[in-house]
Amino acid sequence: MSIHFKTAFSSIRRSPFQAFAAVGVLAVTFFVASILTTLLYSSDKLLRYFETRPQVIAFLKEDIPLSDVSSLQGRLEGDIRVKDVKYVSKEEALLIYKEATTDNPLLSELVTPSIFPASLEFSLTDLKYANDIIGEVKSESTVDQVGFTANLGGEATLSDTVERLKTITEYVRIGGSIFVGILFATSFLVLFVIISMRLTSRRGEIEILSLIGATSSFIRSPILIEAMSYVVLGVSLGWMLSFISVLYLSPSLISYFNQIVILPKTITGLLALFGVIYAAEILIASLLALVGGSIAVSRSLKKR
Amino acid sequence: MIKFQNVTKSFGDVSALSSINFEVDDGEFVFIAGPSGSGKTTLLRLLTRELTPEVGQIFVDKQDISSLTKKEVPFFRQRIGVVFQDFKVLSERTVRENVEVALAVIKTPEDRWQKDIDEVLKKVGLTSRSEMFPSQLSGGELQRVSLARALVVNPKIIIADEPTGNLDWDTAKEIMNIFERINNDGKTVFVASHHEDIIKGMAKRTIRLKDGKVVSDTKSKKIK
Repeated sequence: MSIHFKTAFSSIRRSPFQAFAAVGVLAVTFFVASILTTLLYSSDKLLRYFETRPQVIAFLKEDIPLSDVSSLQGRLEGDIRVKDVKYVSKEEALLIYKEATTDNPLLSELVTPSIFPASLEFSLTDLKYANDIIGEVKSESTVDQVGFTANLGGEATLSDTVERLKTITEYVRIGGSIFVGILFATSFLVLFVIISMRLTSRRGEIEILSLIGATSSFIRSPILIEAMSYVVLGVSLGWMLSFISVLYLSPSLISYFNQIVILPKTITGLLALFGVIYAAEILIASLLALVGGSIAVSRSLKKR
Repeated sequence: MIKFQNVTKSFGDVSALSSINFEVDDGEFVFIAGPSGSGKTTLLRLLTRELTPEVGQIFVDKQDISSLTKKEVPFFRQRIGVVFQDFKVLSERTVRENVEVALAVIKTPEDRWQKDIDEVLKKVGLTSRSEMFPSQLSGGELQRVSLARALVVNPKIIIADEPTGNLDWDTAKEIMNIFERINNDGKTVFVASHHEDIIKGMAKRTIRLKDGKVVSDTKSKKIK
């Protein structure tokens, strides 16, 4: 083992409580960071679902020729702003109604297909096209009314629904970023203070090393290795706790959101998502350790 | 090899060294003698580049060390061996590990460490103490560790600041015998000492300082 690793690990062994403090603070920070990242991932998926999934329904006028319907359907299918165009006949509309009212058969007993209008249902590739498309479809002579199905509760228009989701996501993003920022700053300070304390307790050793010709990088190496050890342990612990928590909660969440895939449904998928989070966290934490460690060492070497 | 040219150093209003001039050839053994406060330690600290002179130049191997940049200083120090009065051993490391550090500093390949350390510990008589910690060693043994650490990097110059200052007479003589053997191996030895008996007993060139000035530069006769 390199002499720098030996020095770093012997330093950790000599002051285990400082090491626990550093690892503990980093673990809490990166646990929260992992959970918030997962929350952002899920809210982004939810937003994307509502942005692309909403079914715009163009209710067709009575007794229009099927050729006109096909012509409109063809035009919509050729439009890059639109996807999944589907014709729903009066009979299919009745079936949908019956399925929706299975709890109360009386409601569907007396209805016939004739009272339901045929329709063209489609999704948008991006919500920004919604108003234009709806306006264009409304102006079609074959179309009677245009409606949409997305609703979070009480919104008047499709835009309102997505705007509300966007606001919620934005709040999560900004609130989470501020919170994680504060935690990162705390972690940085804790690392900085602990490294500075280490340097103070090793002042004699650093003086000796300097007198026998040790370069700054030689003196800095064990300190940075020590800081990196805290980072790897802290991040791994926080990440593991968050992964276990999400793994435990994901069946309920997936079942609650049903067809909206807010989290990967397979272990492999979840592992891939958390793998990316882990890699990013290790990178960020390493930067914290390297910057904190380097500043502390430079200050200490300047003081001598 | 070592040349002090009109070197002056002061700390505030206090003049520590004033117009110091001397030259030391390769392989010489030189004592810097004088009472406390005469400037011995300041002179050695200038030579190890812990301090820089206000006036004058110090040459080691024709290189003016007072003009070295901060980044060049460690590489200069790697070429010299320094022994301290207070030993300056690393208390958390064994004798072997203390010596290892010096090899690590000069980036000696690890596969050579064992051989180099065994050789140097044999030279200073610490083979049987190699796995002990400093707290388990006597003053003389600690000074040998300090010496072993200085020697293992195979420097051309050994600088020692009062190496016998904390030792009893017999131990001091043993340590000085080791210095003499090192000198016989061709290394330049530069020792600051106020131990007159030791200086006279060794009959080496002696530069005497008083109030920061060189008052004599002589070769003394060996007293048996």
